[in-house]
Amino acid sequence: MNTSTLISDSALVSLYIAGKESAFEQLVNRHKNKVYTTIFLIVKDSYTAEDLLQDTFIKAIHTMKGGRYNEEGKFSSWICRIAHNLAIDHFRKEKRSPMITLEDGSNVFNNMSFSEDSAESVQIKEDTHARLRELIQTLPQTQREVLMMRHYAEMSFQEIADATGVSINTALGRMRYALINLRKKMQNNNIAYDKNLYSE
Amino acid sequence: MIKTSTQNELIQYVYNELADDAFEQLEVALVQDKELAASCSELLLMQQLLDDAAKAPRQQAIDNILNYSKSLSLQSN
Repeated sequence: MNTSTLISDSALVSLYIAGKESAFEQLVNRHKNKVYTTIFLIVKDSYTAEDLLQDTFIKAIHTMKGGRYNEEGKFSSWICRIAHNLAIDHFRKEKRSPMITLEDGSNVFNNMSFSEDSAESVQIKEDTHARLRELIQTLPQTQREVLMMRHYAEMSFQEIADATGVSINTALGRMRYALINLRKKMQNNNIAYDKNLYSE
Repeated sequence: MIKTSTQNELIQYVYNELADDAFEQLEVALVQDKELAASCSELLLMQQLLDDAAKAPRQQAIDNILNYSKSLSLQSN
């Protein structure tokens, strides 16, 4: 059993600030996928997302090592908010319109592990995940925003409501519609939705 | 027909944000109401799909971050 996973994020931050580099490595490995996905869903390019992922953690390093890390709130929400802001800034600088782009070739860098599965089921899952990321881009902006903030940036619904200037019930409603719409879009696009693939 | 307030509670339930008393009430309702249980099941499945759809960066990007942090530590020593 790996007991290192039991250490809380805030404890790891404290250890890192005290000089323990391995604590930072655990933090990075714990949150890299959600931070990366948060960025990727905005910039829609693997290489740009990796650059911004590095910028995000470098900014976090300077904040923590500079003694400016505010322990209020969760580390995951904080780091994903930095990532979200950097991705939005990049978007504005590039003056790109928020077009829906498909993920051609994105599976090359998608190293989700399903080693226990057959090659066929791995392919079905990877296809499903790639299509799902595409469908997230097609959601109405308000729904997509809440989904990304809650699911990938791990902000609470109250934090999302405060950040977006709506009531918590509106934030909850947007999340509900986001999930319902995604489900419908998957059915309409005949995307594999085999519950057996996802049963433990 | 599931009430909107209950549907919102269902979202809070699957994201583990429901207060203890409401949590218990909803779990009782889930046992008694098949339509509600089916909705909950769908939400949990979508939640798992979204989890699994998270992308991973290349290891080189992670190594760059860790090396940057270590280089700063060495400079300050």
